[in-house]
Amino acid sequence: MIKINNLYINFQTEIIYNDFSLIINKGEKVAITGRSGMGKSTLLNLLAGFIPEFKGQVSINNLTLNHKTINEIRKLIAWLPQEITLKFNTVNELFFAPFEFDLNKNKKPSKQEISELFNTFELSTNLLSKDLKEISGGQKQRIVLASCLLLNKPILLIDEPTSALDNSIKEKVADYIFNKKDLTVIAVTHDNYWAENSDKVVHLG
Amino acid sequence: MEKIIDINYFELFAGYALMLIPVFVLWYYKTGLVKDVLWATVRMTVQLLLVGVYLEYIFSLNSTLINILWVFVMSIIATYTIIQRSDLNFKLFFIPIFLSGIISIAITDAYFLGFVVKLDNIFDARYFIPITGMLLGNTIKNVIITLDAYYKRIDNEQNLYRWHLANGANHQEALLPFMRDALKISFNPLIATTAIMGLISLPGMMTGQILGGSNPNVAVKYQIMLLITIFSSAILNVVLTILFSNRIAFDNYYNIKKGIFRNSKL
Repeated sequence: MIKINNLYINFQTEIIYNDFSLIINKGEKVAITGRSGMGKSTLLNLLAGFIPEFKGQVSINNLTLNHKTINEIRKLIAWLPQEITLKFNTVNELFFAPFEFDLNKNKKPSKQEISELFNTFELSTNLLSKDLKEISGGQKQRIVLASCLLLNKPILLIDEPTSALDNSIKEKVADYIFNKKDLTVIAVTHDNYWAENSDKVVHLG
Repeated sequence: MEKIIDINYFELFAGYALMLIPVFVLWYYKTGLVKDVLWATVRMTVQLLLVGVYLEYIFSLNSTLINILWVFVMSIIATYTIIQRSDLNFKLFFIPIFLSGIISIAITDAYFLGFVVKLDNIFDARYFIPITGMLLGNTIKNVIITLDAYYKRIDNEQNLYRWHLANGANHQEALLPFMRDALKISFNPLIATTAIMGLISLPGMMTGQILGGSNPNVAVKYQIMLLITIFSSAILNVVLTILFSNRIAFDNYYNIKKGIFRNSKL
């Protein structure tokens, strides 16, 4: 469960959140919508520990967000940023990068798991042997999302997960994620299908 | 031994004409570095003319305490130069860079002068000061390049750094790709220079010793040892600088602090 209580965040003179509260239960799919600059990505960054200066109480699975708990909290989440300007040479390096970390080494997916998920996301596993420059933005987005999902973390924070995808693939990706009952998902999105199928929509602004 | 050909002051002045080439190139491409290069040349000239005077004085005193103090002064100047050139916050970075320089010098000086050269007193001014000066002078460039590549890339590519942290990397793992790239950028040129040493370039110290009348075999042996010592000292200095400065450049959540660059607001 994620609890945000009386959140206040400002960037210099601009107040981003003022007395904002939100409760997200385990397995809930939450869509964060609203105009640009209203603090949608800020909420994801906050939960991942990238906004250390805030007022209010934030807890994730009973861990109060602070510098003492941040390591434990980051073990619970997978995070997909909006701009995937991640500098890797090959698709293989990009996809497997999180599985190289000590924490995730034992979570390395089998060929079958990769193949099944790639199939659902309409990706060919042959892409893994390609240079990153050779694939499209949509393919890259699905590959990073697949990597995040295969980490099997209980909480997924995703920023515009379908922005570079065609409509037909958008729905497949969304359906796959919505069908994972135990996975808590907080997604910043402008996608109507995603918002309409989420358990909760938080509109900012 | 042939008599050494001295350079008179007129010839020395004529030699400065070569500086017109870099000044023209830097001016033509509007790099904004013309003033810096002229100032650096003036500083270099004054410092080297003075060095003869004060080294003669320090050598005649040959006091361990004064020699150590002199190396501390050199380290402070090196630290200042590194911070100045890498656009980092002076207050935050002075201690980590200064400490790294002192520790790397202490280790490599002690090994080279105590174990290799086997001096009775490793603080003997005639060895301790020039060797330390060469080590410091050669490592400054590597520390500047590494710090610049490391912190600017973390700052510019926060998405990658954060992506690592938020997907299970510990702090060291999240920093690893940045450290790896910074070391590559910094040490590739030194590896290349070391590999062609003697074929294309004759190193300054060896040339100086030969011009000064030393046996070329002795000069070569000193130069080999010095190149190895410089390499070890540089990499030790660079790694310690990064490790020490990592402790002050990130907040408790491992986010890079906004105030680490000189022109950023704390």
